[in-house]
Amino acid sequence: MKKVLALVLAVMMLVAAVPFAMAEEAITLNIWSFTNEFQGMIEKYFAPTHPNIQFNFVLYPTDGGEYTSHVDTLFAADAAAEDAPDVFTLEAAFVKKYVNSDWTGDLKDVGFVDEDFSTCIPAMLQIGQDNATGVQKGLAWQSTPGALMYRADLAEKYLGITTPEEFQEKVADWDAFLETAEELNEASEGACKMFCADGDVFRPYLYNRESGWVVDNALVLDDQLYDFLDMMKTCEEDDLYARGQAWTETWFAGMNGTNEILCYFLPTWGLHYTLKPNCVPGADGSMSDEELQKLSDENGGTFGLWRMVAGPVGYSWGGTWVGTNAAKVAAADDAKKAAIKELIRFFTLDEEFLYTYAMDSGDFVSNNTVVDKIIAEGGTPNPFLGGQDHYAMFAEAAALADASTMTEYDEDMERLFRDNVTLPYIKGEVDLDTAIANFKAAVTNAFADITVE
Amino acid sequence: MQQSGRKPKKVTYDHYGYFFIAPFFIVFLVFQLYPIFFTFKTSMTDAVGWNKILNNSMVGFKNFQTLFTANETSSLYWLSFKNTVIIWFFNFVPQIGFALILASWFTDQHLHLKAQGAFKVMIFMPNIITAATIGMLFFSLFSYPIAPINTLLQKIGVLNTPFEYFRNVPTSRGIVSFIQWWMWYGNTMIIMIAGMSGINPALFEAAMLDGCTSRQIFWKITLPLIKPILLYNLVTSLVGGLTMFDIPHLMTQGNPNNMTNTVARFIYQQGFTGTYNFNMASAGSVVLFAIIIVCSLFLNMLMKDRTGTPRKLHRAMHK
Repeated sequence: MKKVLALVLAVMMLVAAVPFAMAEEAITLNIWSFTNEFQGMIEKYFAPTHPNIQFNFVLYPTDGGEYTSHVDTLFAADAAAEDAPDVFTLEAAFVKKYVNSDWTGDLKDVGFVDEDFSTCIPAMLQIGQDNATGVQKGLAWQSTPGALMYRADLAEKYLGITTPEEFQEKVADWDAFLETAEELNEASEGACKMFCADGDVFRPYLYNRESGWVVDNALVLDDQLYDFLDMMKTCEEDDLYARGQAWTETWFAGMNGTNEILCYFLPTWGLHYTLKPNCVPGADGSMSDEELQKLSDENGGTFGLWRMVAGPVGYSWGGTWVGTNAAKVAAADDAKKAAIKELIRFFTLDEEFLYTYAMDSGDFVSNNTVVDKIIAEGGTPNPFLGGQDHYAMFAEAAALADASTMTEYDEDMERLFRDNVTLPYIKGEVDLDTAIANFKAAVTNAFADITVE
Repeated sequence: MQQSGRKPKKVTYDHYGYFFIAPFFIVFLVFQLYPIFFTFKTSMTDAVGWNKILNNSMVGFKNFQTLFTANETSSLYWLSFKNTVIIWFFNFVPQIGFALILASWFTDQHLHLKAQGAFKVMIFMPNIITAATIGMLFFSLFSYPIAPINTLLQKIGVLNTPFEYFRNVPTSRGIVSFIQWWMWYGNTMIIMIAGMSGINPALFEAAMLDGCTSRQIFWKITLPLIKPILLYNLVTSLVGGLTMFDIPHLMTQGNPNNMTNTVARFIYQQGFTGTYNFNMASAGSVVLFAIIIVCSLFLNMLMKDRTGTPRKLHRAMHK
């Protein structure tokens, strides 16, 4: 049924595109994506300068795995089908699943060479590589390094810290982070907590594992996971965090100043799309900085009180990659291959475009040359961060992130680990051995092909 | 006037009826019957992942064996089954109870309740809202540590510190049961009212003349006469309850420690997370299907009128 629907949609789009296609012998590319972001970017930046390339867009939401099941069913049936995508976008949650499979094509097959990738930010390149062979299969236009955001006013009030440099020393590694948390709890008599949710610190820990969840089809529990559990157990017992959950009331309450939470681990998009629009009750994403500042000042919000530091470890969170459909590339003629290459090159490697796009959107791009250029030109002083330049800070953070442990199992594994280990163990419902045994049982249940010792 | 010598040809429109019922049967065959058979077939294969959904090999009853011997999968399946039954029981008993009481009040000739329509609408209302919305609503209400219910209970002095509802087995199951009850008792009530208003008023009048109390009328006349409606409610509620998915999935994700995991969530997790174990998901569905059939037949037997209601009463009821 869905396949039929997809076909109908594709046909409708084809019909819509016919009048344009008749102009010249145009090359038509099928693009599949999970948001209209890429389509919007193509229409705004790419289409005007490339009239000979036409597009059929097909969109499926990622909710409930709809996008991936469409891609999976299509590839399982006939990857080279007429309506199959030539190019498709991949989200952080499932990018590894596809670049680790034979479904996505080696970018060299459409004419890229290694030198093309030399200026890309390494972590984003790494994620686009096949884990087994190291072949580059996906490229990203954004980079999503994470940093640590903290409330400068609270840091000064309870810890006597006045500069980001001093604060970075206080959170230089996890031991320092935990000590600061204890100090903060005492100084504020429990009123101010170091961070909000277990998920906040889980991601930075995950990024610093030596091996991913699965190596050679066997489950691996890295030492970092146990370190994380130790730290969370201490935080739970000593009452050092707000015991909330990401994306819930408690989490946002710390952002808008309703209760006192010192730190948030957030990536590039988290600063602009999560923290800033929630800095005061009643704020929304469409407000300008001035409007937000005014609302925040009138209602005790936190606009301008946040500062940004690198934090204990480097990490990355989110992102979108562009990959090719191997079967369609294999069947394509040279002109079509050139069109595919041009599309991917333009969005992920073209420095002129990336600069324009960064200026237009404020997004943090994936190219070191462009990032350096923006910083050299004076960067992006951000009133929300009290004038700190977030581009420079994120550039530092981007250099720290290492994505080598990312696997296609991450999304499911992270959920199973939280449900079976993190929460039951730190809340004292089960002991560590039972928690780990429950997790292993859950992994066995979910993954038929993973060996669990 | 036509003067043809032949007998006028009889025009029949009977076959047009088939056109009108065809859409249902086509939809039913394609979207219900075929998937059911496909599920049966898949449950006996090694279909793991989309690649093998069509190109798989038969493995006989291996998947069922997995569900009926001691291992991680079967323990989760039967735990989910136990959870489902517990949650269903605590939603169903109050649901039938409230529905019966409210329905008998609304149909009681003595009481003559005012603004019946408004009450019925209000009671039915939760059923109109989608389960997804309600799941998210209750998740927000009962969140921890800052959320409306915790704040309220602290303000009025019931709690000193916030309580983590979704880390406690009785409260998390209780909230799921409560939502199921709250969403469905209005619906059950409407069906009961329909059943009760179908009873011939002469029976009530006769009972009243004979000096029956309201309670006696309810137990001796109303209840026996709505038995078929009760059976209908029992069976639909049983099917609905055993296939419960949306509220636990959206609100608790089976937490804490799988104690609110339901059979339908087990099937979903097997089929649509991890490696997509369609075979196990199908086997789980088939076992659930069998359990529902057996339970429904059992209920049917239990509710069957063994005393042999006089035909007159039956007629009276269906008047």
